Amino acid sequence: MTIQDMTVMICDDSMFARKKLKDYILSLGVAACYEAADGEQAVENYKTYQPKIVFMDIVMPKKTGIDAVKDIIEFDPDAKIVMASSVGTQNHLKNAINAGAFEFLQKPISNEQVLKLIETVAEGV
Amino acid sequence: MFAQFFGSYLLNEGLVTAAQLAKALEEKKNTKTRLGVLAINAGYMTAGQVEFIHQVQSTVDKRIGDIAVEMGFITPEQVEELLTKQPQDYLILGQTLVNDGVLTNAQFEKALNDYKSFNALSESDLNGDKTDKLEKIIAQFYNVEGESAPRYTNYLTLLFKNLIRFVGDDFTPMNATAVTEAEYENTVGQQIIDDDKKSYTAICCNTDVYIKFAERFSEEKLDIADDFVNATVGEFLNLHNGLYIVNQSNEFGNELNLDPQEFIYNKAINFDKITIDVPIAFSFGTVHFIISNL
Repeated sequence: MTIQDMTVMICDDSMFARKKLKDYILSLGVAACYEAADGEQAVENYKTYQPKIVFMDIVMPKKTGIDAVKDIIEFDPDAKIVMASSVGTQNHLKNAINAGAFEFLQKPISNEQVLKLIETVAEGV
Repeated sequence: MFAQFFGSYLLNEGLVTAAQLAKALEEKKNTKTRLGVLAINAGYMTAGQVEFIHQVQSTVDKRIGDIAVEMGFITPEQVEELLTKQPQDYLILGQTLVNDGVLTNAQFEKALNDYKSFNALSESDLNGDKTDKLEKIIAQFYNVEGESAPRYTNYLTLLFKNLIRFVGDDFTPMNATAVTEAEYENTVGQQIIDDDKKSYTAICCNTDVYIKFAERFSEEKLDIADDFVNATVGEFLNLHNGLYIVNQSNEFGNELNLDPQEFIYNKAINFDKITIDVPIAFSFGTVHFIISNL
């Protein structure tokens, strides 16, 4: 699969964080980029759109990113979820990986990191 | 990083006004340090010798370095060393103030030496970004003491690094005050949660400054304090607090958590635990950082 065929979802309660990441991801020419502003919406939107890769914050209202990962993995064990969080403590890292996330990025995240992960997932699809 | 605290020292000593300092902090990106200031800083020449050479240079067509070597004030090797080394930001600030006529070479020399001896810093301490020396300056500047001192020092040191990295280096740290209440036009707050306590952190300022701060961090042109501006300032606080708790986790094994941010407008927040208000004067206005019960 090429980057142009990729569908992406960004889950972050910060409108600023979503916009910055979305602006960059859309500039790569992906097929679609969806958003969610809390953990509950993240799970709902995943079920609706089933994006190829998800960027997930941890500290969010209604449902944390870690709990959202658990729910998404229960629905789709092959989901590719990248934690993109400001709280990369050892506990959070461990919990995210145990929940089924396949990568953890500590904010601030760079465009290069994002591109590399989207490319990696695209190659594997 | 040392430039901001050196600037604050000059301000507190009454050697510069806030307006002169703000102007110099904005201008310094276009300033080139000259041999005289570099030689004074390295202790190779006195301010008097530098002044003398400047007078001589006005009568002959020679470079400052050549005249200084001919006069026997400095060796060619020292000139080479000074001119090849990347000047530190506090020197660029000093040069800007000298260029603006705010400080004479002699005043700059005295202030620099007093500042170094006050903080027990050597020339090599001021080169580069040495966290332990920065922490020392910050602990002394804010007079933090007691059991929580290492956490406050760590939090503030990281804050200054993040401000320089994400917002800009054109600021002066002002003296902090203990407060029991904070009321500003705009406040973004976030709790840091430990097993047995909750700390509170916030960014507070008036609306104009709030928008400017968001503009710097987002790198976008912003006109009104809307949800996007809130989200932007909130994300800076979240980013900074996140890096702080990662530090605490990696270095001390403290596993802390963050709550989502809250936004408060024109309403007083009361504190029943030790709380400090840390004002930081940017060239676009003053931003207050509130740190409670860290």
